[in-house]
Amino acid sequence: MMVLFRHEWKQNIRTLLIWSLAVGIMGMICICLYADMAENMADLSESFSNMGAFSDAFGMSVLGIGTIAGFFATEVGVVHGLGSSMFAAIIAGNILSKEEEGHTGEFLYSLPVSRGKVITAKICSIVSALAVFTAVTCIFYILGFQVIDTAPDYKLFAIFMLSQLLMNLEVMCICIALSAFVKRNMTGAGIGIALFLYVYDLMGRIIPDAKDYLFIGPFSYANATDIFAEQEIGPAAYICGGCLMLIALFITYAVYTKKDLAS
Amino acid sequence: MLPFFCALIMKTEKGKEEARMKENAIEINHLTKYYGRHCGVADVSFSVRAGDIFGFLGPNGAGKSTTIRSMLGFLQYDGEISILGMDARKDHERILREIGYMPSEAMFYPSMRVRDVIRLSAQMRGMDCKQEADMLCDRLKVDTERRIYELSLGNRKKVSIVCAMQHRPKLFIFDEPTGGLDPLMQNTFFELIGEYVEDGTTCILSTHVLSEVKKYCNNVAIMKEGQLVSTGSVSELTHTSSKRVRATVDGQAVDYLYTKDMNSLLKELGGRNVTDLTITDPSIDEIFLGYYSKNDNREEVKK
Repeated sequence: MMVLFRHEWKQNIRTLLIWSLAVGIMGMICICLYADMAENMADLSESFSNMGAFSDAFGMSVLGIGTIAGFFATEVGVVHGLGSSMFAAIIAGNILSKEEEGHTGEFLYSLPVSRGKVITAKICSIVSALAVFTAVTCIFYILGFQVIDTAPDYKLFAIFMLSQLLMNLEVMCICIALSAFVKRNMTGAGIGIALFLYVYDLMGRIIPDAKDYLFIGPFSYANATDIFAEQEIGPAAYICGGCLMLIALFITYAVYTKKDLAS
Repeated sequence: MLPFFCALIMKTEKGKEEARMKENAIEINHLTKYYGRHCGVADVSFSVRAGDIFGFLGPNGAGKSTTIRSMLGFLQYDGEISILGMDARKDHERILREIGYMPSEAMFYPSMRVRDVIRLSAQMRGMDCKQEADMLCDRLKVDTERRIYELSLGNRKKVSIVCAMQHRPKLFIFDEPTGGLDPLMQNTFFELIGEYVEDGTTCILSTHVLSEVKKYCNNVAIMKEGQLVSTGSVSELTHTSSKRVRATVDGQAVDYLYTKDMNSLLKELGGRNVTDLTITDPSIDEIFLGYYSKNDNREEVKK
């Protein structure tokens, strides 16, 4: 299993580097911009918080954009949320189907390892890639805070990053389950799934009637403004997320271990 | 006394079964595989003796790869497959430990170096196969520093041969192994098979190249349209003395299957002006035709 885990790691390392550096550097640049914008932000903050549905959607009605916490949550929070979920979706969406698409399955599955173990090793490699992604981006954000010499509450920052990691894991589970069914590259579909889940959360915050169903999406418990505004996140979101992950993993193992592999 | 005799009989039967399993490296019983409505293979049964080089013959789409892929656990199937005395479904992982498989396409991870692919294959088996791998790379002239995406089909096949042989398995399964290999490498490949088989390895060789089967295999199973046409020794099944004759006789090109004695052919051609003459083995389809004709008591198949 460790051999397979290392092999998967090596296969994913380039994608991991590109995405973690891209999202991390983008986030750090955003943070660095805060120093220049802080003076103007004080005036703008009031206007941004009174823009109705727009303010609700991006959380500016509950958190002032003029503070570093508000700025980080509304700017970097969106960049990180979208970037990390897309990374999770792309990497997970291809993890099983790439063997059939690249015709490497005949080599891999002729080695003495069960398909169940292959799935486990692949999932472990993605989980660790997501953890590294979170750590790398975290370092860049903290570097940004050091540059501008101001930072949000680090406890809330840690909760935000861990919630994002949890959200990424949920996206990962959904995409792996889809990957078990298909034989083709799922990059496009992965990006689509990540965007759909983000838009679902966005719409849920704009449309009053949809607010009750917000907890179904993985972005509900990882929303930066909710976390930095210390708003209570109900257990339903976590329970729903946990159940979705378990169901997705069950489907993955059940389908993929019985599937006819394409030649 | 009765229970004692019953136990004795059961033990004897079990012993016979075990002995039979040991004698046969592969036993396939009533293998059936459908892809949706399309039948891949239907009720295929045959066995391969341990230590044999067994040819698995048939045109494209005959069901050879489906049978092999079922044996390796890539496909869900109906029927029973026993490999090296183990159940192909229950003991899947243990069986793969004892098998060296070479797929027809020989695809690997494009960005990996050859040496890393070979090492990965050995590590997944928990073995250090460096010595054997070095020997194989040397004989097959494999450049281990190159990346997979730089390799031609023939060179990828050579890597695949190293991966299949380096752990000295008890059973080789080769699916159309020689496609892409130059004649020199084909020779080396069959030399290697001969050496491993001498040491007790069994080899199943799926191909549509009749000459390979005739030259290297002892027994053969012939597949056509998902069904087992026949199984037996190579000499038995290719007994038909048919030859494809292509010649230019008296200025006219002729092309036909000749099934009589060769001396008669020479006599026939002797008195005529032959400017060009090629006598080859008949194609696999012609062998099939000859085989069916023999069953119908029609000895001669002519154009």
